Amino acid sequence: MFFLNLSAAEVLALLSGASALVVALYLFDRARRTVRVATLRFWVEARQPVQAHRRTRIQQPWSLLLQWMGIALLLLAIGQLQFGPRAGAPFDHVLILDTSSWMAARPPGTGGGQLIDQVREQARAYVRALPRHDRVMLVRADALATPATAFESSRARIEAAIAQSAAGVTALNLPQALEFGRQAQRMAGGRAGEIVFIGAGRMPASARAAGGDPAPPNLRFIRVADRIENAGLRRIELKRSPSAPDTWEIYVSARNYGVRPRTTPLTLRFGGAPVGSRQLTLPPGAEGEVSFTLRTAAAGVLEARLVHRDGFPLDDRVTLELPAQRRLRVAVYTADPASLRPLLEADPRLAATFRRPDQYEPQPEAEVLILDGFRPQAPPARDAIWINPPGGGPLALRQRVENARLIRWNSEHPLGAGLRSKDWTLASAAVLVAGPEDIRVAETEAGPVIVARAATPRAVVLGFDPARSPLRFELATPLLFANAFRWLAPGIFRREEVSGGSVGTVRMAVDRATPPEAVRVAHEDGATLPFTLQNGVLTFFSGTRGTVSVSTGDREVTYSLTLPEVGDARWEPPPGVRRGVPPAAAPMAAASDLWPWLALAGGLVLFVEWLLYGRRSAGVRRGMRPVWKPARWLAAWRTRRSES
Amino acid sequence: MATAPLLDRQFLERLERLTIHWHRSFPGLVGGHNRSQFAGGGQEFLDHRHFHYGDDLRAVNWRAYMRLEKLFLKMFQVEPRVPVRLLLDVSASMEAPRPDKFWYARRLAAALCYVGLVRLDTMVLQPFADGLGERFLCGGGRHRFSPAVAYLTALQARGRTGFLHSVRDFLSRYSQRGLLIVISDFLDEDGCEKALQYLADFGHELVLVQLWAEEDRNPPWAGELDLVDAETGQQLRLQVDDAARREYTQAFDTYAASLQRLAERAGGRYLGVAADSPLEEVMFGGLSRARVVA
Repeated sequence: MFFLNLSAAEVLALLSGASALVVALYLFDRARRTVRVATLRFWVEARQPVQAHRRTRIQQPWSLLLQWMGIALLLLAIGQLQFGPRAGAPFDHVLILDTSSWMAARPPGTGGGQLIDQVREQARAYVRALPRHDRVMLVRADALATPATAFESSRARIEAAIAQSAAGVTALNLPQALEFGRQAQRMAGGRAGEIVFIGAGRMPASARAAGGDPAPPNLRFIRVADRIENAGLRRIELKRSPSAPDTWEIYVSARNYGVRPRTTPLTLRFGGAPVGSRQLTLPPGAEGEVSFTLRTAAAGVLEARLVHRDGFPLDDRVTLELPAQRRLRVAVYTADPASLRPLLEADPRLAATFRRPDQYEPQPEAEVLILDGFRPQAPPARDAIWINPPGGGPLALRQRVENARLIRWNSEHPLGAGLRSKDWTLASAAVLVAGPEDIRVAETEAGPVIVARAATPRAVVLGFDPARSPLRFELATPLLFANAFRWLAPGIFRREEVSGGSVGTVRMAVDRATPPEAVRVAHEDGATLPFTLQNGVLTFFSGTRGTVSVSTGDREVTYSLTLPEVGDARWEPPPGVRRGVPPAAAPMAAASDLWPWLALAGGLVLFVEWLLYGRRSAGVRRGMRPVWKPARWLAAWRTRRSES
Repeated sequence: MATAPLLDRQFLERLERLTIHWHRSFPGLVGGHNRSQFAGGGQEFLDHRHFHYGDDLRAVNWRAYMRLEKLFLKMFQVEPRVPVRLLLDVSASMEAPRPDKFWYARRLAAALCYVGLVRLDTMVLQPFADGLGERFLCGGGRHRFSPAVAYLTALQARGRTGFLHSVRDFLSRYSQRGLLIVISDFLDEDGCEKALQYLADFGHELVLVQLWAEEDRNPPWAGELDLVDAETGQQLRLQVDDAARREYTQAFDTYAASLQRLAERAGGRYLGVAADSPLEEVMFGGLSRARVVA
């Protein structure tokens, strides 16, 4: 007989406490009451001598006994009282199924079946071998440990959960799953049974190195055979070439997970057309990398494929969407296009059109205007770079200076980033009047000569002409224009990278100075993902396939997480761990549940007590009058019937 | 409970078909709806009497004079306006042991008041405990009902019951006889029979409505009790059992029967009402059967 894992003496002590409570409540219920009545005149006529009762006397022992019995029975029912030998008490087992991506592998000689089929079969065999009353919690383990059932004794529900288990897309994190199983058994409060892991035990080396607590002593390992030769893509990364922005530099890495060396062709297709092919030789357990170059400014789908057959085809192919190379249209209004042409045609991301000043339009088909040496009647409706405008252009002109030296650059602003030249001497320059909201980019002793205005539309005003002076041979001149274009159109010049990898945990190196508020990690459906930023490494987790975009200021990396995460290390259980499916438990005299009958009996006893010592109204609650209510109800019903 | 409306609209619509009736003949001005045996300025011929000096010459039967050479005066039946007075018990016992008895009493008074207002009767709501409280007079139609409801809602039960003192006040304050509906639990330690007899002897037509809570008539308590009188605060310690409760109920019923005999002997009517019975059943059942309303 068990009662919440208490001994018989503890049960008796608990029952005694409950009995004492019932008796105390009974005596309290029967104690002298003060009742406020409308009059005493009829009581005086019916007055009876006060009897010298002792307060503690039990006046209605049967009522008390019935209440006590009812409560005792309900208490035992709540405790799920059972009768039977102690050895027949049920165990709580945790059944951990390996549902990592590797379980989708197809071992040879199985007719196309997957490893997860073997896992399910072994799980069913284990459950059938358990005693009938044992409870089982089913846990699906990949990168996360997800319980599929609570501790469940219904074999039908457990087998339904087993049948619904399928291979995921992430790698196994077994230490986490074992820890989860240990905690689940601890919190259940029952007799802890086994923690059973069924799977191949293949997981990332990082997860195995992280380790955690040692294997629990009640661990059982049921391995499924996974002698499968597999080589698959691990990662593909694309960056725009720093020297040629319309060229992608592509790096593809693959790994041989098998035990035999493998040589396999790796092909690259863009928009369905082959754009490259390499022969990749991979020793057992090693990783290889090849690089390609793809010159295109157009958007399209890039596919990398390992052309071979193995037992795990899911990691043989990866596709990425490449964005188009956007170009910034610049309308240049100048009387001397030859001076600016070399400056603007050096960068393929710029598409400059040169026009005469008399062809000026405030809203041309361009994102940025360059107004060289003239001031239009109508101000431009686009962002603009003003070069030596008469009268200061959009700003007021303070004075003109000659042979002025630049004494300060605003290096903290993107417009002055990287500009530190102090040997610039301006033959002739206009000193501008900058407002409090304006940005002073470069200054002489007489005042600012390069001023930017952040109000829409943006404007950068140069008080001198760098293209028609010796300054055009200075390195700072193209850098100044590059900064200006980057500030006016940041989206065009953002560094774009595309990376293809596997779902799960992704780590990305970022600038250490990047503040967390400048980082945004968003899934393709628009949902933002949580991330950590520590020591220049940004880490986030994606448990589903899809595209994740990470933007960090002027850099945007698009992760196409379509490859399954495959473990590259094999977990080996420590010695002493039980293995395999145990033999079926011999039928033993299991403890039988008594609580339904106890609950029924307790309710019945309390109902009988309520009938005999009715407590329907507030007044009766205070009394002790035994009322046979059915007879009263029958009489009332007969009276009403006769009246009607 | 005090914030709930006394009577809902559907119930008021049903009350409009009722009329308060009295059986005695009272003198009064024309305009009522119950006939009186007293002659007056009505339309229906009642009788002849000898002419006396000062009588209205328009009522002289000139045909009889021509034939008999004696002056006879024609008398007509009158339907006088008689004020309907509601004496409402507001003593503390009306809220013991539960407050719903007093709430019920106010609802009953409101219902009778509405019936009277609809028939253009003049209604006087007169609360009393150990003396008369401030009355509320209304008449002239149903649109005067809202102030009456506000008045009844604001009433509070407090004080001892003093029927004799209250009746003396009443008789000195109201000289005109009429229908008098007393809504009370009639639980006066000094007894109320004598006071009620005074009212009857004065000429009022009595309608006694005795209200009781279920605990007033069938006390459910048992065991050792400290009983506290809600009005006087007196305490009585009793050991109550079935026999004591039976005797209590018997004493209560005896008292109720004595009230009924008193009312009937005085030409009035009596109605005992349990506070948990539906008010609609009382208005359309008990009071109709007692011919207080019809």
